[in-house]
Amino acid sequence: MGTATGIIKALNSGIKHLAIKRFTLRYPEQKLKFVGDGYQFDPTTGVGIAGYKGRHMLFHDKCTGCQLCAIACEGVAEAIGMVKVQDEWKHNKKGIMPQIDYGKCVFCGLCVDACPFYALYMTNDYELSSFTKEALIYTPAQLQVKPFVQQDAEIIFDSRGATHG
Amino acid sequence: MTTQLPPGLQLEKVDERIMTLNVGPQHPGSGHMRLIIKVDGDYIVSCDPDPGYVHRGEEKMAEYRNYIVNIPHLERPVIHDSCNVLYPYCLGVEELLGLEVPERAKYLRVIASELNRCVYIQYWLAIYGIFLGHSTMFMWPAGDRELLIDLLEKITGARVTHAYFVPGGIRNDVPANFEDMCLKRVNYFEKRIKEYAAIFYDNPILISRTQGAGVLSREDAIRLGTTGSTLRASGVDFDLRKKEPYDAYGELDVHSNVLKDGDSYARSKIPWLDMLESCNIIRQALQKMPKSGSVRVKLKPNPKGGNDEVYKRVESGRGSLGCYIVSRSQPEPYRLKLSVGSFRNLICMPYLLKGEKLGNMPAVYWSLNYWPVEADR
Repeated sequence: MGTATGIIKALNSGIKHLAIKRFTLRYPEQKLKFVGDGYQFDPTTGVGIAGYKGRHMLFHDKCTGCQLCAIACEGVAEAIGMVKVQDEWKHNKKGIMPQIDYGKCVFCGLCVDACPFYALYMTNDYELSSFTKEALIYTPAQLQVKPFVQQDAEIIFDSRGATHG
Repeated sequence: MTTQLPPGLQLEKVDERIMTLNVGPQHPGSGHMRLIIKVDGDYIVSCDPDPGYVHRGEEKMAEYRNYIVNIPHLERPVIHDSCNVLYPYCLGVEELLGLEVPERAKYLRVIASELNRCVYIQYWLAIYGIFLGHSTMFMWPAGDRELLIDLLEKITGARVTHAYFVPGGIRNDVPANFEDMCLKRVNYFEKRIKEYAAIFYDNPILISRTQGAGVLSREDAIRLGTTGSTLRASGVDFDLRKKEPYDAYGELDVHSNVLKDGDSYARSKIPWLDMLESCNIIRQALQKMPKSGSVRVKLKPNPKGGNDEVYKRVESGRGSLGCYIVSRSQPEPYRLKLSVGSFRNLICMPYLLKGEKLGNMPAVYWSLNYWPVEADR
């Protein structure tokens, strides 16, 4: 192949892309859809359930304050600390529950794997930025709230290339 | 009276014609490392690679954490290739603890690691393109990489740091319509990367720039102990997926790509051919994979190995990646050593750059498929 033909072919393959749909995800307007409601773990079988590893969700009615999540996090990020909670639960004699510092968390999900009581799951919420470091520390009361997420963009394949719709 | 200085402290003789250039350690042109280059006019007289700026002590850290907690930090050396970095560690710990991995998990591991290899190579190709001044080759791989990142995100739950492999299988099973989703993306991805040929690999401008730059002969490649794409570009057929098949690779038909030239062009073409091969492997694995079944062996908390040692290696995006683990009946490894492809490929840089033009430095440097963070561990 001659030099001129090669350059023309290279240009041609670039010019073709003028007619191809834009692949870019327009982020704040569009948000990618994930599978399920976030990463979960089933301690009876020892296998997780596929999902996005985002902000945690804590179920106060299941947490026994056993600290296994905090122990699992010790060697990873030291993001989980156990704190006193006001409300009294019969199954939680010590009255302590995890508090997660998202300035340190690496979202590996090993704390979810460690929980034997189905009390800690992860959700699809990943927009956690804040203006202060203190606001990144989520108390048990904040972790209890199920996040509101609106994610619906998916990759669509057609004859004119892939696009986010 | 002149005092004799001890070796290492002696002053260098300065030649008027020779100038020393520090390329790095700040990012432009070198990654997180420094190349001490001596130039005579436009030609490189000698090159001394100086890695170590991003040393994190992964190996020492591993001695204080148990086999499960080690997972998130051991994938940090190459986050774009995180499945392949964890692979030898998981294989090693499985042998130490005597675990039998379920059949479905073996295939899913192969699929995840091949997807991850493509993601890594796309990232590398983007950097290679932009350092040669080919900005289209930065945009295209960086965009198409998103297809597979999105797929991996649906399987593992994270964009790059997956923490997906564990000793005894994988963390979670794939979502319901995975096979359909995976096949669609891989087919489209293959169609896209084939388009790179016209704009990049068959482009006469790129060929004239990289062909004949930094030639590594077959004998030198073996003598210097290079691995991966650098070795295969010099005409040595050595791919661990084929030579020492691990997990499900033994049941799959793996073709290893070999080129004979040993120059920058061949070294940059091998990873691209590997991506096409990865697409074939993924399609085969999807066909042969058991449709249902367990994916993880249930482990006791803090599992202990015996008095034993084990060495396992896999073919990562940058070549052979080995993990040596010594166990002393403790929940933590007594010693963990990562033997990485990047560090081995670094050794041939002084040989390749000697006598080259300074302008060829980025072409040779990035063609080695070198990842500074992995080399420093």
